[in-house]
This record gives sequence, C-alpha cells and structure tokens, in this order.
Amino acid sequence: MVFPTLQFIGFFAVVLALNGLFWNSNAWRKGMLIAASYVFYAAWDVRFLLLMGFVSSVAWLAGLAVTMPRLRRPAKAAGIAAMLAVLGAFKYYNFFTLSLAQLLQSLGLERDLPWMTVVLPVGISFYTFQAISYIMDVDRQEIPPRRNPADVFLYISFFPQLVAGPIVRAAHFLPQIDRPTRPDNAARAAAVVLILSGLFKKMVVANYLSVLLVDPVFGLPGGQDWQSAGAATLGYAVQIYCDFSGYSDIAIGIALLLGYRFHRNFNQPYRADSLRDFWRRWHISLSTWIRDYLYVPLGGRKGSPARQHFTLILTMTLAGLWHGAGWNFILWGFFHGAGLAVERVLRRAGARLPRVLAIVAVFVFVSLLWIPFRATSFADTLAMLAAFGRTDGYGALQIVPVVWGLLAAGLAMNGLPLTWRARAEIALARLGPELQALILALGIWAMFAAAQEGVAPFIYFQF
Amino acid sequence: MMSRMSRFTLTCLAALAAAWLLSGERFLDAVFEMPDLGRLDDAIIAAVVTLEDWKAALGLPDVFSAMRGAIHRALGLL
Repeated sequence: MVFPTLQFIGFFAVVLALNGLFWNSNAWRKGMLIAASYVFYAAWDVRFLLLMGFVSSVAWLAGLAVTMPRLRRPAKAAGIAAMLAVLGAFKYYNFFTLSLAQLLQSLGLERDLPWMTVVLPVGISFYTFQAISYIMDVDRQEIPPRRNPADVFLYISFFPQLVAGPIVRAAHFLPQIDRPTRPDNAARAAAVVLILSGLFKKMVVANYLSVLLVDPVFGLPGGQDWQSAGAATLGYAVQIYCDFSGYSDIAIGIALLLGYRFHRNFNQPYRADSLRDFWRRWHISLSTWIRDYLYVPLGGRKGSPARQHFTLILTMTLAGLWHGAGWNFILWGFFHGAGLAVERVLRRAGARLPRVLAIVAVFVFVSLLWIPFRATSFADTLAMLAAFGRTDGYGALQIVPVVWGLLAAGLAMNGLPLTWRARAEIALARLGPELQALILALGIWAMFAAAQEGVAPFIYFQF
Repeated sequence: MMSRMSRFTLTCLAALAAAWLLSGERFLDAVFEMPDLGRLDDAIIAAVVTLEDWKAALGLPDVFSAMRGAIHRALGLL
C-alpha cells in the first residue's frame, strides 16, 4: 500500500478515527496501531508478516537479555547477528553468490553455487536497522528494556515509517508510545503542510520528472548527447530528492496526526556547502544511525589520519551497500567516502571555496554520483558518463517545456527559506480544525488531479 | 463536547466521502487490493458494493476527472 493512493487514504481515515476512539486506552491504542501496521504491510505480501514478527520477537528477547550481566554480550551479538542474517539472506545472498561465481569463473575455478529465489521484503533495511537500534540503545542503557512485547512490535512495525523510514530511534519513539501527544492546532497545521508538500514533491515533481525526462534517458544511455545526459542527471538529482523527502514529509505528517513526533529527515540538502554538510542534511535518520552504530564502533576519529580516512571510506561504502545489493551502490558509497576524506584533508589544510562556489561544487559532485545510483548496471553508468562527451546522440530527448518548470519547482522545494513554511504553519494553526481538514482534503484532491494516472512506487521502497 | 481533533477527523471523513461521491474512483477496487480478512472481508465488500451501487444511482458528475483533464491540458500534458 503506497501513501498517494485512494486505498491508503481510506485506510488512514479509518485508523485516524480509531486512534481518536482509543486515545484514552493505551493498550487498545497500541493493539489497534499494531494491527493496522500489519494490515498495511500485508497489503504487499502476507508472507512478509512472519519475517517482521520474527525480527520484532528477536529484538524484544535480545532487549530483555542484554540487561542480564551473564547474557549481555552473547545476547547482543546474537540479536544483531540475527538482524544481519535476515538482511543477508533476503537482500544480499544472491548478489554475493553471483559475485563469488563470477570471481571463481575468472580464476578458472567454475563451481555450481546454490541459488535462492528470494522476494525482497519491502522496507526490510529500515525495520532491521530499527531493531538493531533498539538492542544497542538498551545495551548502552539509553532506554530500559520493554517487558511488554507490544511496545517493541509497535516500534518496529509502526506503519508511517515502516517501509521507507525515517529510521526512528528507539530512545526517541518508545517514550512516546506511553504518552503520545494529542495533536493540537499547531501540530495539525504542521501535519497538513508536511503532507501536502510531500504529496506535491512526490506526485507532481518526482513522478513527472521520472516519466518525462529521467527514465527515457537512463533507459537508453548509449544514445544520449551531453545535453540530454546533463538534463537527466539534474532531473534525477531533483527527482530523488522530491521522491524521498516527499515520502519522509508525508510519513512525519501522518505520524503527527496520530500523536507521534519524528525528527525531520531532510534539511535542504542541495544547499550544503560541503559533503559533510550534505550528509547532515540528506536522509538524516540514516546518516546519524550510521555514525552512531557503525562509524563510531569502527573507530571513528580514533587513530592516525590514514586510519580515520579508511574508517570513513569503509563506513560510506557499507552505507552504499545498505542502499542496494549491487556494485553500483558500492561504488556510489565508496566515492562519497573518498570525497569526504579528501574534503577533510583540504579542510585541515585550510583550503576553502567561497560559499556559493562550494554549494555548486557539492551539488555537481552529488549529482554526478547519482548516475551509478540510478543506472541499472555498471555498463550503463559508463555509457551515461560517456554521453557527456558527445555532441549528438540518436536517442537524445526532446525536452517538453513543463520539465523545466518541474525542475525549478523541485529545486525551489529544496531552496525556499524555511521561514515560508513556518509562516504557512502559523497561518494554518490559527484556523479551526474543520478548515484545517478542508484545506488538507482540497490539497490532496488537487495533487491527485494534477498527478499522472497510476501509482509510481517510491524509489527508497526497494531498499 | 467534541474535541478539536475529533472535529478534524470527522471533517476529513466527510471530505473523503464527498471526494468519493464526486469522482469516478471506486473504493471497491481499493478493497480488492487489501489482504483477505476472511469473513470480515466479505462483510466489507458487501457494504462497499452497496455504497458503490448507491453512488452510481445518484448519477453525480465526475468532477475529479474534469478537473484532472483541465489541469493536464493547461500543463500541456494531454
């Protein structure tokens, strides 16, 4: 079930009404939200429920066990290993098997390796990371373990963030389970702005850019010239920002209407004046997760400069692998890590660009690295990069005027002053609840009318 | 007295009903895409079929499609 569908709107309307009905009964509200989240997830594939139930059960048991002195280390190791095993089996098994088979073949040691037909459960990377967050946070005594399994089940399955984040920290979410905040005028206003801006970014900007510009060019990279390659690269940079931040905005807005607050996941990432700044603004919940649970445990800023650079590049390479089981993603992560390391060296040497130039340089670097992220293979990545050196291409695209408007709108969503959003929220907060609801409904109606027919899935669902 | 959140929720539900009445969208299609809930599913489908029949009998205009067509024409997408 995808957010911008009539199916989800009907589903959410029922959940919102039940949430209000059960507001004063913690146990009933939790039970209803777990049931709703499982129905939401089952809409993709009922079989996935078993996996999510397994992940939640292991996290709950590991959380209890890590507080027992004798079991602490083995429980933590077993819990995290179980999560990584789930990810490995469902997401990476065939990739590593294929890579091993190719390596053996190139060495003249061809072998028949066991293959599995695996359907990638949607959102698996997100909820396994949340489960790890729970185990680690309990282990670090940042939160007490939950005796009631319903708390952990709700934390892991809560439908607004289940399939594409934000990755919510246990220490942030679990206290809210017991005491959600009844949405007041300001919270509803913020939710309306978030949901409508998210729908606009996804349904209007991202989806049309995908169909009118990005997909045709990336679908035939060998036939493009530098203009269409450049436009599609810019188009994908805008598309992925609008697609993913749009999803996050909707998720945060929906959670807010149910009484739960998530941290924001995007903060105008294309205004970043360094790569370090970019990663503090892009997919913030993943960046901070990786910093706290991977980069720091791997050594972080400890050791010699060379060791620090190695840790940084390794962390980002693993972050690339988290995004997808493919060499393209590994390459993407590696180059981001290398870029961060080079930037650190330059910063320590005192080298600095003027801010505007730095923003442009970061945007160009990030946009070019979106090419391996978007291309379906390494060969397509090279073909797309080669197109930048061609002045004519047999498949070069005639770009319709509306595309330039979409690019401008997407960049404006990234670049407009945050005070504008704040003003819209303040204006909406002054209205009565009926008017707020009507504006939300009319806005959704307008987005659906402006959007294309059919539903394009969110890019980050595949991760 | 009804809380402000309840008033917000009720208005959302009313707006959803109005949107459904004034569009060619069918909840039945959405319900069929949901996981099978057994006997509960049968009851839900029966209720939705009744509602869809009632909506069809009202013969209301499909304002949503008209608006979509106008927007798409204005943007040069048709």
